Amino acid sequence: MDLSRRKRFVQNGSSPISAVRPHLEGRTEGSSAHTLEMAKADHRFGQRDGSDQNFDYMFKLLIIGNSSVGKTSFLFRYADDSFSNSFVSTVGIDFKVKTVYRNDKRVKLQIWDTAGQERYRTITTAYYRGAMGFILMYDITNEESFNAVQDWATQIKTYSWDNAQVILVGNKCDMADERVIPVEKGKHLADQLGFEYYEASAKENINVRQVFERLVDIICVKMSERVDTDPSVVSGAKTTRLSDKPTQLPQNCC
Amino acid sequence: MSDTMFGSGNHQWVCPNDRQLALRAKLHTGWSVHTFQTEKQRKTQVLNKRELDIILSVIHRAEQLDLIEQHRIGRLMERLENMRRSAVGNGLSQCLLCGEALGLLGTPSVLCFDCCKKVCTKCGIETACNQKRAQWLCKICSEQREVWKRSGAWFYKALPKYIHPEKDSFMDRRPVIEREEQPVARSVPITYTWAHRKVDSSESDSSDSELSDASSDRKTFVSASIKRRHSALSESSGSVPLTPLQSILSSPSRASFLSESHSSLGSERSSLAPAPEDEDTDQGRTSLSAPVLRRAGSQRSSSSSSSSAPATASSATETGREKNDNDDDLDRAFSAASASASASALPPPSRKEEEPDMEGYDSDDSTTLGTLDFSLLYDQENNALHCTINKAKGLKPMDHNGLSDPYVKLHLLPGASKANKLRTKTLRNTLNPVWSETLTYYGITDEDMVRKTLRISVCDEDKFRHNEFIGETRIPLKKLKPNQTKNFYNCLEKQLPIDKTDDKSLEERGRIMISLKYSSQKCGLVVGIIRCAHLAAMDANGFSDPYVKTYLKPDENKKSKHKTAVKKKTLNPEFNEEFFYEIKYTELSKKTLEVTVWDYDIGKSNDFIGGVSLGINANGERLKHWFDCLKNKDKKIERWHTLTNELPGSGFND
Repeated sequence: MDLSRRKRFVQNGSSPISAVRPHLEGRTEGSSAHTLEMAKADHRFGQRDGSDQNFDYMFKLLIIGNSSVGKTSFLFRYADDSFSNSFVSTVGIDFKVKTVYRNDKRVKLQIWDTAGQERYRTITTAYYRGAMGFILMYDITNEESFNAVQDWATQIKTYSWDNAQVILVGNKCDMADERVIPVEKGKHLADQLGFEYYEASAKENINVRQVFERLVDIICVKMSERVDTDPSVVSGAKTTRLSDKPTQLPQNCC
Repeated sequence: MSDTMFGSGNHQWVCPNDRQLALRAKLHTGWSVHTFQTEKQRKTQVLNKRELDIILSVIHRAEQLDLIEQHRIGRLMERLENMRRSAVGNGLSQCLLCGEALGLLGTPSVLCFDCCKKVCTKCGIETACNQKRAQWLCKICSEQREVWKRSGAWFYKALPKYIHPEKDSFMDRRPVIEREEQPVARSVPITYTWAHRKVDSSESDSSDSELSDASSDRKTFVSASIKRRHSALSESSGSVPLTPLQSILSSPSRASFLSESHSSLGSERSSLAPAPEDEDTDQGRTSLSAPVLRRAGSQRSSSSSSSSAPATASSATETGREKNDNDDDLDRAFSAASASASASALPPPSRKEEEPDMEGYDSDDSTTLGTLDFSLLYDQENNALHCTINKAKGLKPMDHNGLSDPYVKLHLLPGASKANKLRTKTLRNTLNPVWSETLTYYGITDEDMVRKTLRISVCDEDKFRHNEFIGETRIPLKKLKPNQTKNFYNCLEKQLPIDKTDDKSLEERGRIMISLKYSSQKCGLVVGIIRCAHLAAMDANGFSDPYVKTYLKPDENKKSKHKTAVKKKTLNPEFNEEFFYEIKYTELSKKTLEVTVWDYDIGKSNDFIGGVSLGINANGERLKHWFDCLKNKDKKIERWHTLTNELPGSGFND
C-alpha cells in the first residue's frame, strides 16, 4: 500500500517540496488579499485617505452562553445570512467582522464567538476584557442554559470592563413546541440583571439583526454620553496609556 | 463539599455561580476551579493539537486585524498631533489655531469647552450637545473627542496601543501595512472627521489647505522627530494594553495549555514579519505539538531549504520600496515577490478570483466546514450528467499550516463502485480553492435521475496519510430538471450517516466473516479473517482486489496492524488467515477491534470498501460477538458482519 501511495505521488507530479510551501504562500496570499481588500474599500468610497478605513468606529462584541444554545448559528446568520442544522462545536474562539451603517456612522463590528464548553473557558474569558458589548444567549428549549444565565452574568462582571453593555437573548424561539422558558421569565431575568432582552431565532432569522443593531445603538449612546458629556475623560486622561500589568485581572484564575 | 465548590456532573461545565465564587474567595483558593484540579482533570482539559491549531489561526487572524487597527489609530493620532503642531495662536488674544487676532476689533471668538482656549468662529465647531445650549469646541478638541471615539479609548478609558505611521517604515516591514500607508494618501485632500456634516463646504476647503500646510510642515519635523519616535515606540511597546493572548500567556497557570508554546507564540506574534522567521515559527509549532508526526517534522525541516525564496521575496519588496514610493510599482514588486514565493503552486487566475472577495476574508471561519459553489446539468439527450465544480470558500483548515489541499470527489449513491467516482484535481494550500472543472457522468438514465443522489465531498489530500474528509453535500438528482443548469451554493456538512439517505448502501459494501477467540493459554486474542461476501466492486472491471486490515485500538505502539494477502479480482474472497494479539484478558475489554476491507490498487490509492468495529462501544451484532468472545474464553466464535462505510475511528489518519 505504501508503495502504491508513493506512486500516486509521482503521478500527481508534485514533489515533496511543495508540501512545505503552505506557510510562505499562505502568508503572502493572506496579506496581499488584505491590502487589496483595503485598496478596494478605499476605492469604493472614493477616499484615498488611509485613515478612514471604510469605517468610523470599531466595536468589539462577544457572544457567550452555554454550549449548543446557538451562538455560532446566530453569528453566522448575522454575518453570512447562512444557517446549517448541523452542530459543530466551536473550538475555543472565533470571530467575524461585519460593517454596519448605523446613525450615519459606519461601525465595524468584530464579533467574537466563544465556545460554551467549560474546557475552553480559559481562552474565552481572556476575550471578555476587550468586548464593548455582550450577547448573552440561552436556549428557550433548554432550562439548564437559562439557569446558567446568572452565572454568565457573573462572569461578565468578573472579567469584562465595567461599562460593557449586555443584551440577553433567548435563542431558538422558532421551536415553540419545545419551549420550556416562557418569554416572561426571560424578560424578568433580564430586568433583574439590567439587560435588554430579545427572543430570537437564528434558524428563522428572527430578531438576529435587531439584536446586533440594538447593541450597536446602546454602545453608541454610551459612547456619546461618555465623550460628549464628560470631556474630562478625554482631556484628563490624555496621557494615560493602558498599562500592560494585568492588575485588574483576577490573578488566581486558571 | 467538593460538589459545592466545583459543581458536579453536568454542572462541571457551567460557570460557577455567585455563591461558589464567594466561597472560593473566602477560602482564598482563587476564582477558578482549575486551581484545584487534579492532574487527571487537567489532562482532559489540555487542548489537543488540532484545537490548538484552530485557536492559533483565529488568534493570528485577530492579530492581523489588531495590527491594522493599531495603524489606523496611529494615523488618527498622527493627524491630531499635526493639528496641534500647526496651531500657531496662544488661545488668549489670538485664535489658538489660526493665530488671528481676537477681541473687540478683531474676529469674534468662542471659548473651547474642553481646553478653555479661545478660537475664532472658523476654527471652532458648534456641537449640539445633549444639553440644550450649544457648546463650542476648538477643532483640536473636537478632533480629540473624535479620536477618543474612533479608537475605542472612550471605552477603555485610555488610548489603545497604536503604531505611528512613520515608525513601521523602518521598524517593522510588514507587507500588509506597507502598502496601505503609502505617502500617496497624504498628498490627497483629507477630510477631517469633524468636517462630516456640521462644517460647511468653505470650511472644509480651508481645512484641506490647512492640512496640506501641516503635511508640508511635517517634512521638516519628521527628521527631528524620528529620534523621538524611536524612543516613543519602545516606550509604547512597553505600555501597551494586553491582547488576550498576551494575558493568557502572562499568567503562567492560565497558560497551561499553551505553556509549551510560549516561545513559539512569540514568533507567532511577529509572524507577520517577513519570512526568515517562518522557520522559527515552524519549529516552534512542531515543538508545541508533542504528538506531531515524525514525518510531518521532516517535512517541515525541509522547508528550511526553501526559505530562501521568501527571503528574496522580502528583499524584493524592500528594493521596490526604496526605489520608488509609487503604489503601482510596489504592487508589482510585491506581487512578483509573492508569485515567486508561491511559484506554480496555485494557478494565477484562481488567485485573482479569490482576492477581491472582501467578505471571503472577513467571514472565513474555522468552525464551519466551508461552502461549495457548483452547478449541475442533466443532458437528457446524451444521457450525461455534467457537474461543474466552481469553487469552495472558507474551507476548514486540515493541515498544520492552517490550510488544506482540497479536491472534490463525486459519488452517485446508492452504489459505491469506482466506476461512479469522479474527482477534481487537487489544489494546494488554499481554503478558497477555485477548480472550475466539469466532471461528467455518462450513461445516466432518467431512472437514475429519479433514484440516485449525487454526493459531493470535499477532501484534503495528504501525501503521507489518508486523505481527510472535510465536508460534503448531497443533491438528490430528482431536483434537477433535464437540460437546465442548476446552480448551487451549499454549506458543506459533516459526513452524513449513509443509512439515513440510502439504506441500500449498507448492504452494498458486503459482508465479512470474522472469528474471535481469547486464548488463555497463549494469553492473547486470536482474530480470524475467514471470508468476505458480496463486496462492492471498486474497479472498473466490476471486481475488487480485496484485502483485510485489522487493528486493535487503542494502539499505543502502533503495532497492532495486521494485513491479509490480497485476493485478486473477486468479490467473495476467502482469506482464512489468523492474527494473534498478545494481550491480558483484563485489558481486552477496553480494546476495540477494527477490521477494514480494502481494494488494492496499483498506482492509485487503495480504496476503502467497508469496515466493522468490534468492542464495547459497538452495538447490535458486533457488540454481541465481542461479548460472547469475552465470556467464552478459549472458544472460537465465528460471525458474519455487515460492512459499513465509515472509517472506524480516527486511526486511519494516524
